[in-house]
Amino acid sequence: MAADPALKMTRKEFVSDQDVRWCPGCGDYSILANVQRVMPELGVPRENVVFVSGIGCSSRFPYYMNTYGFHTIHGRAPAFATGIKASRPELSVWIVTGDGDGLSIGGNHLLHTIRRNINTQILLFNNQIYGLTKGQYSPTSKVGIKTKSTPQGSIDHPVDPIAFAIGCGATFIARTIDVDAKHMQNILKRAHEHKGTAFVEILQNCPVFNDGIWEDVQDRKSRAKASLVLEHGQPLVYGPAENRQGIVFKDGIPSVIDLAEDDDPIERGVVVHDEHPEASSYAGVLATLQRPDFPLPVGVFRAVEKPTYEAMLQDQVDSATAERGVGDLSALLHSGDTWRI
Amino acid sequence: MSRDLMEGSEAIARAAIDADCRFFSGYPMTPFTELLENFAKSLPARGGVCINAESEIEAIGMAWGAAATGARAATGSTGQGLALMQESLSEISRAEVPLVIFNMARGQGDYYQATRGGGHGDYRLLVLAPTDVEEAVYLTQLAFHLADHWRHPVLVYGDYLLAHTRQAVEITPTDFGERPDKSWAVDGSLGGTGRSRNVNSIGMQKGTKGIDPEAFWDRLQKKTERIEAAEVRFEEENCEDAEIVIVAFGTLARFARYVVRELRAEGVRVGLFRPISLWPFPSEALDRATSNARRVAVLEQNAGQMIDDVRLSILGRVPIVSIGGISTDAAGFGIGPLLDAEVIRARVENVFQEGAS
Repeated sequence: MAADPALKMTRKEFVSDQDVRWCPGCGDYSILANVQRVMPELGVPRENVVFVSGIGCSSRFPYYMNTYGFHTIHGRAPAFATGIKASRPELSVWIVTGDGDGLSIGGNHLLHTIRRNINTQILLFNNQIYGLTKGQYSPTSKVGIKTKSTPQGSIDHPVDPIAFAIGCGATFIARTIDVDAKHMQNILKRAHEHKGTAFVEILQNCPVFNDGIWEDVQDRKSRAKASLVLEHGQPLVYGPAENRQGIVFKDGIPSVIDLAEDDDPIERGVVVHDEHPEASSYAGVLATLQRPDFPLPVGVFRAVEKPTYEAMLQDQVDSATAERGVGDLSALLHSGDTWRI
Repeated sequence: MSRDLMEGSEAIARAAIDADCRFFSGYPMTPFTELLENFAKSLPARGGVCINAESEIEAIGMAWGAAATGARAATGSTGQGLALMQESLSEISRAEVPLVIFNMARGQGDYYQATRGGGHGDYRLLVLAPTDVEEAVYLTQLAFHLADHWRHPVLVYGDYLLAHTRQAVEITPTDFGERPDKSWAVDGSLGGTGRSRNVNSIGMQKGTKGIDPEAFWDRLQKKTERIEAAEVRFEEENCEDAEIVIVAFGTLARFARYVVRELRAEGVRVGLFRPISLWPFPSEALDRATSNARRVAVLEQNAGQMIDDVRLSILGRVPIVSIGGISTDAAGFGIGPLLDAEVIRARVENVFQEGAS
């Protein structure tokens, strides 16, 4: 959808008449507020916006957006979104999913939507737990987590959503935090501007069933040390001013170095962030940065241009009609052999 | 032995484990979740494995694999999750793999799904519908026995109330006699044939050339007919002289039984017929049980599904009316106003009045 910056809209216009029902303190409230705040700035009229979800706490989202919406089947939102974009490419289609919906039952659908580079925004709320069914482990839960379906501790290795998206060949990959309004709004705008599948992992706290898993990157005090804010063209430096640290790569393996106050990070060999390399290997190394050994990167990991699926689909339709003319059903029915009965 | 107070979910899991179930897989969904959680809690200590799979499709795939190695295995969900398992259920029937499936349904709207199924081809699942926790303990164990005996999937149809009602029950292993031989299982042994084994759903065996689908399907159909003849189960109460016979299954039948006893005490000639096996449906028994009735009242918590089997049993001999219907709570879990003896009693009395006029 071509955005129209002249279109004057307000946040209120994107707020539906439904009572919002998540548990008190849920990170989803903040995500909803930020999405509703960003929407008017995108310049897309409400009737051209569609939110598609599957099943889970995050999947209540479409009810609360005063736009078109689909609350669909568990894990299948990417498939519905593909159908919507293939037949109405002019619509702005947002997929809202979670670590359970998107990466367990929906992992297969998510993979194929991302690799096709369909021009949609995928918002994956990651709280590392099944909230709606009251606290079973999810595909992103840490090894050893004790839940009611893993009473002795989980022995599954988690999948990292960013690494998954890189493996699928996503052309835009970002991570943001539920409570960091400014950062999230910026990422949402970037995701919308991107032509192709924009995959955004949103770290979200579930205060009831998995409280505090992102606390160090959410908390304003510990955030500087626990997270690494990715900015294109800037060195991978983090930490408070008096205690800065940087990420260096040696033989492709990342490690942390301490920086003195007057050190030039680039001279010290700190990697300069680049969103645009064609090869995804750099983003892949960034995705391996996990706490506690490394800060958790937030921001845009990768943004590259590739033709979108629906554009290529339209090209095929155009070339077929150019070659054979616009179809005529009646002519088709009466061509070749016909029978009279 | 003592009776312990426990939720249906716990009782069913314990009964299954006592019946030597050593593998369970599932995916959380209300009201099935607690069954999964109870298996997760209890199976490891008994040498078994419980996996919280990433979807119902995966769960039944895992359970099929485990059952094919000769282990007693089970899976389950609610009807919504069972919908995802239909492909596997029809294939498992044809692969002749014994598997137990629990549907902790949101009401009784999955009767067609259970008894007709949504999979491809000619197949039927054995379906057992317990009316309370105590019966569920027995039928769960029976399900494992029947699955092994017939090498066929057996579905246990429960619901929210069965899963979540606490009842004092005694879990005692039922002895069903000697276990059938599982020489077909992929268990790492040579089993006397000297050949590796192959589990598939197209009737192909190692050492035979090609497949003969017609002969294979015909053999399965004959097995289906033998099951139909051998595995009919039902309960009837006060039907002999009943003017009105109520037909109900599962949890709702428990309410109906209460109403029937209450009315009988007041001298009203009403009876209850309760299919325990939904497939095979107790058609002949129902036909006999209603031989003196002037009305048959079908009480089911759906828009009218079992009523088809009642019609097929009675073939127009007696007028059949529905006194059930859609009935649920705001969450859609099937805890509706119909689960109330007074509501049911009023509907039964209404049938008597209609019949009189």
